[in-house]
Amino acid sequence: MMTSTRAKTATTGDRNVSTPNPGSNRTEGRKDPWSQLLDKVGKQQDREAYRALFQHFAPQIKYYAMANGLAGQAEELVQEVFVSIWRRSCLYDWRKAAASTWIFTIARNQRIDMLRKMQRSRAEMTVDTEDLWQIPGDDENEPVTSLHRLMSERRIRDSLKHLPEEQITVIAKVYMENKSHQIVADELNIPLGTVKSRVRLALNKLKVILQDQNA
Amino acid sequence: MTQHHPDSHSLMEFSAGNLSDPHALCIRLHLDECPHCRSRVDTLDSLGAVLMDEQPGAGVADDAFDRLMSRIDAGTPEPQPKPAPRGNPLQRLLGEDLNLLPWKRQLADVSVLDISHLFPGQPEKVVLQKLAAGGKAPAHTHRGLETTIVLQGAFTDHKGVFNQWDFVVLDEHDEHRPVALEGDDCITLSVLSAPLKLTGTFTRLLNPFIR
Ligand SMILES: [Zn+2]
Repeated sequence: MMTSTRAKTATTGDRNVSTPNPGSNRTEGRKDPWSQLLDKVGKQQDREAYRALFQHFAPQIKYYAMANGLAGQAEELVQEVFVSIWRRSCLYDWRKAAASTWIFTIARNQRIDMLRKMQRSRAEMTVDTEDLWQIPGDDENEPVTSLHRLMSERRIRDSLKHLPEEQITVIAKVYMENKSHQIVADELNIPLGTVKSRVRLALNKLKVILQDQNA
Repeated sequence: MTQHHPDSHSLMEFSAGNLSDPHALCIRLHLDECPHCRSRVDTLDSLGAVLMDEQPGAGVADDAFDRLMSRIDAGTPEPQPKPAPRGNPLQRLLGEDLNLLPWKRQLADVSVLDISHLFPGQPEKVVLQKLAAGGKAPAHTHRGLETTIVLQGAFTDHKGVFNQWDFVVLDEHDEHRPVALEGDDCITLSVLSAPLKLTGTFTRLLNPFIR
């Protein structure tokens, strides 16, 4: 179900990041177009910006739902995610996350929430989905982290192009089809150790692992 | 500052949203206190975003945006920041002071509290354990995987010292005999994928793991 996807280049455009732009101030220039749009939604409830985000991200979220066995609820997930984007946009801070990363985490949390509501026994859980899955912390006072966050998406997009197909297949199954390492191993008919080593190699290249003695 | 972190596979499963609720809770509690792992999860979330963007995409219904806008206009359209909730997620579940919970004493130094019922529909056993300051736990191995995070105090075993918010995963190959450091009672949260077996003389221990 996973088509290979490496070739598609960034439509989110990092043009502003690399192009010298003497007219505008430097920090503005670090914002990618989607983050600028999301910023406008948050600050001014700009509906045109919101529509542009919808046109770009709604098909991604719908595909994500379908790849996750939520085909019947795919449109509903798109709606839930976008209502959430609208309501939370005032909390969005482009210095902390690119819009696409921020939207990905909302889509992930809404998917978990939807699955939970579909399973009766889990629906009675006392702990909120957000409480478990939302990244805590407010690292405004950690400028290194902020910059690191801003750069990471761009760097990942670039390095992903250079990963071997077999590594992309594995991490894509983990992320897009939400399969555990064990299930990916069963599906691809390879040992769990092989899945783990492919993940490890990929994360190394993507520089997710900095110094990880346990990995 | 914590010394023992979740491995990158666990962080990736967290970022992808693939963990059971109790496992997610363990990671989340660690992230609350560990900027190092937070930064790794941020990067992993970006990986998720890039992968989502690289998918072919699926066309949404023609009226999807209009439906969305009428829903927003009908509801409470004013985006409002939520006040930050107090304490960590576990404290919101159980109350602020874990020492005051209805602990069940099993041995002189060991008390437990099974909180699995807070996670209905999940296969794992979720247990709080308290080892009195300076106290010793019986030697034991683990059947299946046991994920543990230290919530208060610290303990030591042959692998080192585990302080507050340290994260440790043990399996059937790990036999250990934890000893709590002096000072605070050591409280841990453990998620067990299968019952634990005792190797020492405490075979009669009435313990949630062997019930
Ligand atoms: Zn950590």
